[in-house]
Amino acid sequence: MTTEVDYQIPRAALSWILLAVMLILAPQSLRMPLWISAIALACIGWRWLIFAGKLGYPGRSLRVLIVIITLLISVTQLRSLGAGLDSAASLLSLGFVFKLIEMRYKRDIYVVISLCFVMAMVQFLYSQTALSTLYIALVVLVITAGMIAVNRSSVSVGSTGTLGMALKMSMQALPLTIVLFLLFPRVAPLWAVPVQNPGNGTGVTDEMSPGDIAQLGRSSSLAFRVQFENTVPPLHENLYWRGLVLDDFDGQTWRRTRRGSSYSQAARLNDFQWNWQDRVRLGDDPIRYNIILEPTQQPWLYGLHLAEPESGNLFQSRNFEIFNNGLITKRLSYDLRSFRNSQTDLVLLDSARRRSTELPETGNPRSHQFARELRASADSDLDFVYAVLAHFQQNEFFYTLNPRLLGDNRVDDFLFNTREGFCEHYASSFAFLMRAVGIPSRVVVGYQGAEYNRFEDYMMVYQYNAHAWNEVWLEGQGWVRFDPTAAVSPERIEQGVEAALRDDPAFLEQSLFSPARLGALGWINTLRLRLDAIEYEWNRRVVNYDEEVQFELLSEVLGEVTEQKVLTLLIALAAVVVAGIALTIISAIPRRQQDPVNRLYRQVGRELERIGLGRHRSEGPLDYCHRVVAARPELAGAMQELTGLYMDINYRHADLPAEQRKRLLTDLKRAVAQLRRLLPAGARLRRSP
Amino acid sequence: MADSLTSRFRIGRLAPGLRTALDAWMARRLKPRSEISLNRKNIYVLPTRNGLLFLLAAGLVFIAAINYAVSLAYGLAFMMVSLFILAILYTFNNLNQLCLARQSTAPVYCGEQIAFNVELRRLPNRAHEALEFTFRDGTSSHADLFAVDRDRVQVFTTATRRGDFRAPLLRVSTSFPLGLCRAWSVLDLGLHCLVYPKPVPFAMEQFTSGNGGGDDSELVQEGSEDFYGLRDYVPGDPLKQVAWKNLARGQGMHVKQFVDYVDSRIWLDWDMFYGFGTEERLSRLCYCVLKLSATGSPFGLKLPGVEIAPDSGARHRNRLLRTLALFGPDHNSAGQA
Repeated sequence: MTTEVDYQIPRAALSWILLAVMLILAPQSLRMPLWISAIALACIGWRWLIFAGKLGYPGRSLRVLIVIITLLISVTQLRSLGAGLDSAASLLSLGFVFKLIEMRYKRDIYVVISLCFVMAMVQFLYSQTALSTLYIALVVLVITAGMIAVNRSSVSVGSTGTLGMALKMSMQALPLTIVLFLLFPRVAPLWAVPVQNPGNGTGVTDEMSPGDIAQLGRSSSLAFRVQFENTVPPLHENLYWRGLVLDDFDGQTWRRTRRGSSYSQAARLNDFQWNWQDRVRLGDDPIRYNIILEPTQQPWLYGLHLAEPESGNLFQSRNFEIFNNGLITKRLSYDLRSFRNSQTDLVLLDSARRRSTELPETGNPRSHQFARELRASADSDLDFVYAVLAHFQQNEFFYTLNPRLLGDNRVDDFLFNTREGFCEHYASSFAFLMRAVGIPSRVVVGYQGAEYNRFEDYMMVYQYNAHAWNEVWLEGQGWVRFDPTAAVSPERIEQGVEAALRDDPAFLEQSLFSPARLGALGWINTLRLRLDAIEYEWNRRVVNYDEEVQFELLSEVLGEVTEQKVLTLLIALAAVVVAGIALTIISAIPRRQQDPVNRLYRQVGRELERIGLGRHRSEGPLDYCHRVVAARPELAGAMQELTGLYMDINYRHADLPAEQRKRLLTDLKRAVAQLRRLLPAGARLRRSP
Repeated sequence: MADSLTSRFRIGRLAPGLRTALDAWMARRLKPRSEISLNRKNIYVLPTRNGLLFLLAAGLVFIAAINYAVSLAYGLAFMMVSLFILAILYTFNNLNQLCLARQSTAPVYCGEQIAFNVELRRLPNRAHEALEFTFRDGTSSHADLFAVDRDRVQVFTTATRRGDFRAPLLRVSTSFPLGLCRAWSVLDLGLHCLVYPKPVPFAMEQFTSGNGGGDDSELVQEGSEDFYGLRDYVPGDPLKQVAWKNLARGQGMHVKQFVDYVDSRIWLDWDMFYGFGTEERLSRLCYCVLKLSATGSPFGLKLPGVEIAPDSGARHRNRLLRTLALFGPDHNSAGQA
């Protein structure tokens, strides 16, 4: 064993490992405080200077100091970031880089290497996109190259050779990885983990004040992707992705009436699992579709009204909103079935009616008066609705992301003064006018519209598609959807928000390269759609591969899925793959000479070696024969015969006709067999396959 | 602190008893062969401590994957396991088909390091990297068989006793390429080396002077055996004997004078060291042999049952040393080899 005192990490190995550390810390550094990144960079630099001989390894006192610093940092970390994933990841990075400076022996290198893999896992907790997977694959490649370089003693192989070998090994590791990924039984979480917001939640919230949705209009991040199953997607103007129903208005803000303390307590099933079919009259045949929702840190989901969840763990509220059991902290894929044109709540309970006609007792007097006058001139509630919509349409109302600020009487101010607003202004005042004359109405928030990706046949809904509209309860029809924004800006609904706000400078001001902006450039748009298509497929097939999908896949292959069958399949497939790879790696022993004559003759040599009479490399057949006969006279007959035959076949009659050669070979076989009989039993070689 | 803790868990020290037992079992299985090709029958593979650490990390990633239900963390854990399995295959293959052959080894004196020569050969298009050779408890030697088809590696051990020294079992191992597991093979190449007794210096005159008769001038006569000195050139001397080097240095023309020693009657005798044990006698005799052969005087050796007539020269010296090395009931048979 080499004494570890004089062990020096090979230069190439150190370079690879420092590269791997930098690569794995780079995405992490975006999420942790700047000074931790600075410390990390300093540690990497320090390690390099140690290697260059300019600095020493940290002494004992320095290491104690580092531990104390780390402890102090963890305390402040916990205070500033909270005891969540972010601070845990930051601390892990810190310990990781500290280990780097005292990386001295081979085992330290392996500690660092193992930590690299753990850090890669942390990266996946934040992002599982195709791009970040590709990035981690690159990191794994570099780590593998590092491992090879650590163990390589020959300096004649350059970094290209090391990288090539790492690449080859990674490629060979891939098939087994895929088999394990597909077949290894997925297990339910062992214990509950507190998942904290990785990143800020965006999207529609359960409160709506003027300006809230306009805020989303500035964001081009993706909200969710939708794929319809075997149907033509509905027209753009029908794509109302219903989210939450807000029915509580305090004069400024619309809120969802909460029962219970928290959404995450969705286990209050008596509220959520309504016996909903009693309250609806189903409309068209259902259309089925799958939605992959980006993390929102909220529990609610989006779907086309009236949606029934087909995936497990989803619940429907009394207002036919859909909720996930728990906050959505990572991409969620769920299946829905929508019965469009259904009617709900044909009979309205008193409590519900009360809730949806409630208004603050004071404020907005002009609006109250305006509503009353308009209702008086209308024949029915429905007429009144149309009259209000016509009011929006025929007067100078503007659809804009940057309306002027509103005063205390917001509805009054908006309706009769500024007349500029985004959808929430229209929805809010529309519901107000309805309620002012006692018509049950409410605000619905969600998304409207989508962008179609022709490459993979799915739709993308962005944050700027966020929208608010209304539902009004009409006798004999139940809750009916009305969208006052459509009256003001029809193109918003028919063509999408991009068309409606094309000239609004505030639109997407937060994103320089937004889809809607780049949409103008043909090839960039194509590229963008293609990339998103890849991302979508990646999500659907890989990221969302869970217990359920695995079960479906296995059912397709195995029919009835039993544990035994799955395990057998897993083991069998893994064995086949490993054996296949082993064959590519472990070169089969080449048959140096396929010639049966030579093979037989070599076998004689091997057998005689057992009694100490192996043939020397340079020994000719005749010399060998003489030596054997001299040592063991009893073998003389057989030995001489087979030597003679061997020489006949190989040298004397080199160009013998095949038939004659075959006959000689048979003779040779017999002679060899005779020799074998003469040898003691223990010396006989087992017949080689 | 962590260093001392982890060092106790080194695989090599995990079960020394087990390893000794394993080696003993192998020694029984092994028959010495001059040339051994490594294959699946004689290569063993086990994970290293670093490999276990790596698997631990894979386990950690896997548990995180379960608990956070992160699909790609599963993938990462499986990738790590796959890499580990590949490491087993690659490490095995790094030894597979490597051919080791015995080579002769120069004799040494007891107590010195023996450098056993082992020839390494490979099949075409194969590479064997980062090979480590060691005798049990010896220091290790490293070799690569990367660019050349055959190479020689010297493996060291200490000559602990005189005679025909058989090398302990040779252990060839490697953890290339990933260092996650170690493949090794224990071989008996029948490596052996002649170990002369350790020369023990002492005041030699009292033993040898009595035996010699007369003084040097009577003993020499001009001859051709041994270099004696230089004398001035006399025309007619054979040109072969002119000391050209001295001439070249400008020291004048001299002729190398060779002499044959007439019977000096020096006998090294076992009984000279009456009262010493066998090994001590042999050690002193060895010293005498070295000293005397340095002077060039012919001398003989008498051991119980062996008598070698006085002679001189390197061949004679080696013969005497060999006799000393192999003296004794245990070594007589081996001396024939």
